[in-house]
This record gives sequence, structure tokens and C-alpha cells, in this order.
Amino acid sequence: MHLIETRDLCYVYPGEVKALHNINFIAPRNARIAVIGSNGAGKSTLFKHFNGIFKPTSGSVLVRGEPITRQNTKEIRKFVGIVFQNPDDQIFAPTVEQDVAFGPVNLGLDPETIHHRVHEALRVVGIEHLAGRVPHHLSGGEKKRVAIAGVIAMEPEVLVLDEPNAGLDPRGVADLNMFINSLAKKYGMTVIFSTHDVGLVPEIADYIYVMDKGRIVASGTVEEIFIQPDMLKSVRLDVPVIPKLLKSLKENGVEVSMAYTYAEAETALLRSFGKQS
Amino acid sequence: MIEELFRIERDALKDSVIHRLDARVKIAIAFAAIIALVAVPYSTMIFTVGIIFYVFFCVLWACTRLSPIIYAKRALAIIPLWGIIIFFQIFLKNRYYTTYDVVMSLPFGINIYAQSIEFAFILFVKFVICISFIILLSSTTKLQDMLEGASRMGLPAEFALALGMMIRYLFVFGYMYRKINETLKTKCFDAFDHHLPYRYRLQQLGYTIGTMFIRSYEQGERVYTSMLCRGYGRESYLFVEKKALKRHEWAFLSTSLVFITAVPVIVWITRISLF
Repeated sequence: MHLIETRDLCYVYPGEVKALHNINFIAPRNARIAVIGSNGAGKSTLFKHFNGIFKPTSGSVLVRGEPITRQNTKEIRKFVGIVFQNPDDQIFAPTVEQDVAFGPVNLGLDPETIHHRVHEALRVVGIEHLAGRVPHHLSGGEKKRVAIAGVIAMEPEVLVLDEPNAGLDPRGVADLNMFINSLAKKYGMTVIFSTHDVGLVPEIADYIYVMDKGRIVASGTVEEIFIQPDMLKSVRLDVPVIPKLLKSLKENGVEVSMAYTYAEAETALLRSFGKQS
Repeated sequence: MIEELFRIERDALKDSVIHRLDARVKIAIAFAAIIALVAVPYSTMIFTVGIIFYVFFCVLWACTRLSPIIYAKRALAIIPLWGIIIFFQIFLKNRYYTTYDVVMSLPFGINIYAQSIEFAFILFVKFVICISFIILLSSTTKLQDMLEGASRMGLPAEFALALGMMIRYLFVFGYMYRKINETLKTKCFDAFDHHLPYRYRLQQLGYTIGTMFIRSYEQGERVYTSMLCRGYGRESYLFVEKKALKRHEWAFLSTSLVFITAVPVIVWITRISLF
């Protein structure tokens, strides 16, 4: 049984705008899944189906094998946490602590448990010192962490991040990468995220879905997706810089094995130049 | 107006003995002072009570280490709104006096009465002192602390949640307004530039206000979606942890409340008049 599964999911916005066409998506346990696609590909619309915010026009969405109904909506939203692109949409309480407490409060937890969860979530994202601060005094990166903490405090098993690295500085992106990886490795969570920054994907994803114009045009592992430059170009994306460079070196006669992440590329190049056995 | 919001916040973020007091203490003192003043009968005894209260307010304001100019500016900004209502009292008779002496007769049968002037002055004193305590409260208490304080004092959860969100988005829209203003400035647009046609300026301002409305609407939609994602429902409330008042806060609160209650009672019983 998959944690999330969509079967021939279609969604049409009011005004007959077709946003999703026959989406078949699977999220297994403890996976890191990237959904890549250009602007308007339907990534955010797809995500809003995962916890029942949007209802499919046709097809179905199964969470832990069960369809989303009015009766289980609350349980589903506890199970699937979504972090939206703009943290200002998601931080609505006057202080960080109160905002992070919003989800646990809605779960009907007692004040001690709420307090514990809030501080644990803030600790996990590394912003415990910001608990008493007001959101409008925080930087973009800090706000993003508050938004994530607000969802983490509900202890979901699936975390969905919509464009998590949008508007973050390089350090912020690096920290976020580490955080996403730790969620899967340390806490056994399934992380689904969308991005059009393909360079980020090999660092934090095991599996990729490529979307274009509301359709899934390809899916597979990092290696399977990034050996298809023509397909990526046709959907206004590109192969990340590292595999592109290594491929070019190979084509020019340099004996180097293919790599996708920075660490893999470093090892491959050092080995190629005889600096490492 | 929006810049004033940021200025009030900056003042509230400063540090002083008054700033450090729990919001509940300041709310209780401010409301006690207002209730005491409103409860004082419409008579000249208000001048004595008023001056004592005003001295009390001045002492508290001095403790805040905020400039008196800040207070003066805020009071002056508010007074015109009420000032007009108070000013018009001098032309009207009211139920607090039985006889009226005409001080001046104006055309169209309009008269200014001595008793009405006195009544207007009583209103003015009550109003200025009430506003002063509100300014003291808002200048030394962060909005979120005020909300937490009010929640701890029994503000219904529904109001607290709605007010909490209002506070949060007041600042979000404040920043949005600033950004739009900066964009207009970047494009060299000045609404008071007489070189630009009047109609064009009006049109641009209309577009700007329209943009703000549309953005507010869209923001509202997105916020509501993310609230649903976090289990928002009828039972939702703003999480406020329990917090006991410290001993010195209790001492300050009780002393102030005794003072605020005792002053009008003593003035009323003893008929003391400072004027």
C-alpha cells in the first residue's frame, strides 16, 4: 500500500481551464520525490489534491489506500502536511510560537503536548530562538522555516513542499537540502517537493516526476530522467550542470564516470585525474 | 497611517519598566482609568480628578522613556476626530443643566451657552485623559502581547484568533503598501506632481488601490487554504500559554487600581477642588 496514490486524476478549474490530465502518481514510504516542471505545469494543483484541498474532477486520490472523504479529511491533513511556496500565506498568527501551535491546537491536543510539539518542531528546523518573535521581523529563510515548523508540529508522515527553495539565499538552500534529507533519513518521512531548479534535484530526490501542461510526461530515478536532455528541453527544463559537464567531458575523450550530485562528481573527477583510486 | 503603525510598533519594542510589565497589568490600568473617568459625574469635580489622573499618566509616561513629543503627536492626531464633536457641544443644550446663560448670540438663532462650554470642557478633559491612557498602553505594549494579555483575561477564543490574524496581516499589508509605494517612486510617480494630468494621477491611484484589493482577496484565498491544510475548524483557537503575574506586577497593579478608584471617590466625598 502506497502512502499517496493518484489514479487517472483530472482537475478542471472553473472556466474550463484544464489543469491536470490523467495523473498517475505514487508516493511510497520513506521516499524523496521531486516533481519538476516549468511554471504552470500543474505541480501546485496536484499537491492540493494530496490532502483534499482540491477534489478531483475525475479519477481518484488514495491516501494509505483510502479515498479522501469528508469524514477523514482531518486525519488526512494530519497525515499529509503541505508547505506552500510563500510563507506569508502560511504564517497567520501574531507570533512564531502561536503560529507553530496552530496545527496542534486544531488536532485537539492538550496544552502540555502542544507546548512540547511546538518547541520540538522549532528545534528540528533550528529556530527555537525565534519562538517569541513576530513573523514580519523575520527574514525570508526564517519565515520558510517557521512555515515548515508549523507543519512538522502536526507530525505528518508525508511532507509536501511547494517550491521550497524559492527566494532563499545559497546558504538557505543548502540548509534546506540538509533538512529535507534528514527528514527522510532520520525521521523516516516521505518528502515530496516541486521545483524547476533541476540542479537541486539530484541532491535531495530519489525519484522524479516531470510535469508539463498538466500531464506527467516522464518519471523515473535521477539517472533515468537526466539522460533525456531532449525531453527536458521540450518541457522548458534542462539537464543539471554537473551531468551536462561530465557528459561533455566524456564526449571530448575524458575518461570520467557519470555523476549527478556534487559529491559524486568530485569523486569521479578526482578519480579521472588520478588523484583518487 | 500605515507608517504610524510601524512607528507605534517601534516604540512598543523599546525597553523600560513600563514596557516590561505584563500586558494584563497595563490593560487593567488603562481600562480602570477610563472607567473611573467615565463614571465621574458631569460636574466640575472632573477637573480635579482629571488633573490628578493626568499627573499619574505623566509619571507613567516619564517611566516609559519615550519622548513627550511622541505622545503629543499621537494625541493631536486623534483629537480632531473627537474635537469637532466636543466643539459643537457649545451650541447645544444638554440634560445635565437646567438653566442656560447665553454667552454669545449668532445668526440663525444659534447661541453659545456658558453651561454648554463647561460641558464641552468636561467632555474634553475626560476624552484627553482616556486617550492618553490608550496611547500609553499602545506605545508600550506590542500588539501581540496585548492580544495575549486580553486572551489571558478572558477574551473569547474566536475574537482572539480573528484579532491575531488581523494583527499579522495588518503588517503584511503594511509591507505590501510600502512595496507598491516604492515601485511608484521607482517609476517617478508622484500623486502630487502637478506636471502630470490630474485625471492620470487619479487613474494611477485607482489602479494602486485596486491592486491592493485584488492582492488582499488572493492573499485571503491562499491563507484560508493553508489554514485548512493545518486542520482549521470551528474549534480552532489561538494558543496562549498560561503565565502568572510576578510579585512586583501584582504590587504595581493593585497600587494603581487603589489609586484610580480612590481619587474620584475622595474628591467626590470631600468636595476638594484644585481650581
